[in-house]
Amino acid sequence: MISPRVLRNLKKEFRSSHLAKLGLVLVVAVLLVAAFAPLVAPHNPTAQNLDQSKLPPVGFAQTSTETTSKMVNGSIQTVENTTVIEPDLAHPLGTDGLGRDMLSRVIYGARTSLMVGVLGTLLAVLIGVPVGLVAGYYGGSVDDALMRVADISLAFPSLVLAIALIGLWGRATYSIPDPFVVAGLTPAMPEASTLPVTVVVVVGLVNWVWFARVARGEALSLRSEEYVKAARALGASDGRIIWRHVLPNAVTPIIVLGTVQIAAIILLESSLSFLGFSGTTLSWGFDISQGRDYVSSGQWWIATMPGLAIMLSVIGINLLGDWLRDALDPDIEGEGGA
Amino acid sequence: MAGTSLWRFVIKRSLQGIGVVWGVITVVFALRFVTPGSPINAVAPLDATQETRQAIAAELGLDQPLYVQYGQYLFDLIRGDMGYSYIKGQAVTTMVFSKLPATVELAVAATVVALVLSIPLGVLSATRRNQPVDYGATLFSLFGISTPNFWLGIMMILVLAVQLNIFNTSGRGVSSVDVAMSLVGPAPFFGTLVGWLSYVTLPAIALGTYFTALITRLTRSGMLEELGKSYVRATRAKGAPETLVRYKHALRNTLIPVITVLGLQLGTLIGGAVITEAVFSWPGLGTLIIQSINLRDWPALQGSLIVIGVGFVLVNIVVDTIYGYLDPRVVYN
Repeated sequence: MISPRVLRNLKKEFRSSHLAKLGLVLVVAVLLVAAFAPLVAPHNPTAQNLDQSKLPPVGFAQTSTETTSKMVNGSIQTVENTTVIEPDLAHPLGTDGLGRDMLSRVIYGARTSLMVGVLGTLLAVLIGVPVGLVAGYYGGSVDDALMRVADISLAFPSLVLAIALIGLWGRATYSIPDPFVVAGLTPAMPEASTLPVTVVVVVGLVNWVWFARVARGEALSLRSEEYVKAARALGASDGRIIWRHVLPNAVTPIIVLGTVQIAAIILLESSLSFLGFSGTTLSWGFDISQGRDYVSSGQWWIATMPGLAIMLSVIGINLLGDWLRDALDPDIEGEGGA
Repeated sequence: MAGTSLWRFVIKRSLQGIGVVWGVITVVFALRFVTPGSPINAVAPLDATQETRQAIAAELGLDQPLYVQYGQYLFDLIRGDMGYSYIKGQAVTTMVFSKLPATVELAVAATVVALVLSIPLGVLSATRRNQPVDYGATLFSLFGISTPNFWLGIMMILVLAVQLNIFNTSGRGVSSVDVAMSLVGPAPFFGTLVGWLSYVTLPAIALGTYFTALITRLTRSGMLEELGKSYVRATRAKGAPETLVRYKHALRNTLIPVITVLGLQLGTLIGGAVITEAVFSWPGLGTLIIQSINLRDWPALQGSLIVIGVGFVLVNIVVDTIYGYLDPRVVYN
């Protein structure tokens, strides 16, 4: 499955590539931040404090000029009032329109993105890989039928199909008990670990087809290999041959595609929550949609910070994906789309 | 490639396409039945009596057996009738086709932005490997494939529109049709063109950046692979000028996989258009889709999905056919 030669390649590629190292650092950082969110976040991400709303990030004092006119001794006088809003060190990335701490929101947002990215990809693998292996192994009319289903699925853009399905099914969520809260280390926070279940199911359902295509391609080329024929001659069942001989050889390209897909699904999740189709309000996409309303009034950081978080995480995952692909060099048809 | 085999291919591919379109229609028809709640709820008032509800069901044909509804749906579609919007009462065909041009314009503009920038950038990157241009292009494409397009749109609004005030950030005040009409009509051509650009530029860049990045990567790696092949060495050895080697031979072979990926990524392009439309209040199909989902206007949603699905199938038939012109090795069978 993962041979010593592959491991050697991975190490060699890693040592020679600064980008791969950067990718690993970014991904590990995001994983740690998400896992230890209650310990890392300075504030409750959902606690509102209207007295401290719209505070700028540290280093970016906001000056706002207000012009007021009033009557003084019968003539109109215009007074320009310049107020400076100083950043507060307690809120390094500033606060949003309701006074919630941006840094804490960005930290908790990582949980939503990663959970949806990983679980959605797993679901897509669980649907797509068996379908693709069966189609490729049997070929003929089974293959034709399954690939037509894949064609139909491809004809709907992921995002459009996803919002249609979520619109139809509703926005179900499941609250995952936070281990830190269970252990009594941190106080419970509403919404702090809400898994948008419908979103996970839907992104899995709209992205399986990429895995089916890759698994089919591998099965198609492996089924005429000598060792597969030998296994068949020895009387092994089709199920056993697919499980023991075809799947292990198809694992590498599936891992590479899986990495790319986690990145693609994180982007898809952010689009869904930006459009309000998520079910949780603790998500990077949702915060960008909130911040959009403040763009014209000067509070640029509310939309900017969560977007930077998405970009850095997805860059990290894509760099790891490039590293895996360069080291393992499988033939991947196209690139998995968002 | 023989002419007859090309025609046979186009016909075969079209028949396959009809099969996929039929599947698309069936899935879209079935969507209504995997939904909790009857579509009647979207139309009937909350306090509607049983009789009113039955009357509405009869009017919408929902009291018929499923196969009759399905048959009727298919039959109507063949005549170009996609039903009537539950909310506006308008014909869905009219609604969808009045919104479609805006989305097509946005998608085409984004594709043009992407192709114009990415192919030269990819070629430069490959022919000047490990030089500053290559690093710059690699870095740009890494950011491009990792940035959510709606966020990029908002950031562009923030910097270019709010701070510098040079673009329109909302709506589609001037369309490409207006620009074409100004060539023959009384409106000044240059002014109309500038007006159109002030609306379309930001959304086109926001939507096009991901594809620019993707195609730059594909072109770069494809060119590197082709330039290392023996036919390139042979062509160089017989004294062909380097430009000929690069652009006539290597680039041509590089573009073949690029075109396939473009066809497959059409779904991503349309999905991206939906969200870009939301950011820039662009009055296209995406706006219609989101509205119909929020208002539970199934006929309008179904119509939009079918038009997108059919568009995808058509474009991919065209892509597969172009493929053969670029790659004479392809045998249509």
